[in-house]
Amino acid sequence: MSDAQDHTRIPDDELLAAEYALGVLDNAERSTAAARIVREPTFSALVAAWEQRLTPWAGALEEVAAPPHLWTDVAAALPAPTPRHPGLWWDLAFWRGLTLVSGVVAAACLAALLYVGVPKPPPPLIASVDGGGHHHFIVTVDPQHGTIAVLPASFAPVQGKVPELWLIPPGGKPHSLGLLQVSHTVTLALPPNLVADAIPKAVVAVSLEPPGGSPTGQPTGPVIATGELTTL
Amino acid sequence: MDLEGNRALLAAALARIPAGDRAALQTVYRLTSAKLFGVVLRILDERSEAEDVLQDVYLTVWRKAAGFDAARASPMTWLIAIARNRAIDRLRATRVSRHVAPIETVVDLADDGPAADSALENAQQNARLHECLGGLAGHEHQALRAAFFDGNTYDELAQRMNVPLGTMKSWIRRAMIKLKACLDQ
Repeated sequence: MSDAQDHTRIPDDELLAAEYALGVLDNAERSTAAARIVREPTFSALVAAWEQRLTPWAGALEEVAAPPHLWTDVAAALPAPTPRHPGLWWDLAFWRGLTLVSGVVAAACLAALLYVGVPKPPPPLIASVDGGGHHHFIVTVDPQHGTIAVLPASFAPVQGKVPELWLIPPGGKPHSLGLLQVSHTVTLALPPNLVADAIPKAVVAVSLEPPGGSPTGQPTGPVIATGELTTL
Repeated sequence: MDLEGNRALLAAALARIPAGDRAALQTVYRLTSAKLFGVVLRILDERSEAEDVLQDVYLTVWRKAAGFDAARASPMTWLIAIARNRAIDRLRATRVSRHVAPIETVVDLADDGPAADSALENAQQNARLHECLGGLAGHEHQALRAAFFDGNTYDELAQRMNVPLGTMKSWIRRAMIKLKACLDQ
């Protein structure tokens, strides 16, 4: 997106955020930016700021009454009132929404799509484990199969150190889940005694450890990224 | 309508949605559907498609309401942004814009000024935006306007205004830089 033009007074990300908010990007560029909004809070904030700047313009638009059946359609499409029994629709709409987002989240979708149609499975969990800069992982937990998949969305390797994954239940201590790969998704088996700890609000963290992992069973190096598990 | 009251009502309704309160979503719908339908219809220019997207907009609101922060954004701005984004997503995924008529470049574009009946409760912010838009060159203002209201891509804008793509990108980007500088003053 950078031309030879001089746009030095405004950083590239700021411009991209403005272009997204204005709506001038083509389909591919827009999808890429949408994926960044999902995984990069800083970029997402830039887009939100541009939306705040531009949206008052829409005040100039005429209101147009929506047809009466539209609310009925919306209400009919809402998930069933009991939150513990999400209907199939809920899943479908969720995934339809997510198809707009490419790449990283698609991987998470695939993992969780396995659940659609299975009666009352334990809900999959996801965490955006973000440390800012070049440390960002997308973590999905499959409680039914007791696995946790970690995609390094962005990770700058540190010489002589390996990234180690930790699960920290609310109010509990970190438990090591294993070592991560710098370049590709790793799927780790959750130890059976930790499956019950992989719940919403549990924290997933990545620390930098000596090769082979933490010698003590607790993080010894810097924690470079953390995030909370949430239900999909 | 009492605009400040409207804002408070909307923010309160949005806050109740994450608990699964359907009546709260209905309140949001009642207060905003005509505005959001106007936004979506302008971009898509096709009624049944706009209805489909509008439905999607409120289902998105239902899912994302927990992410709305009344301390940081006005509810109407948040909702319109969702509506515009959904409409543009649909446009990009399905076809080129219907808004393809050539735009004659003019030197000075009279701005319509802040809309008096605006559902956007922050009149001051609204007036400021129009003041800043008024400070743009005519062609910059026209290009931004077509992008914002018609949902055109850079490519479509370049064709509509009959300039090379690079020129159009340059116009829009320069306009955005000026706009930011003016608004952030």
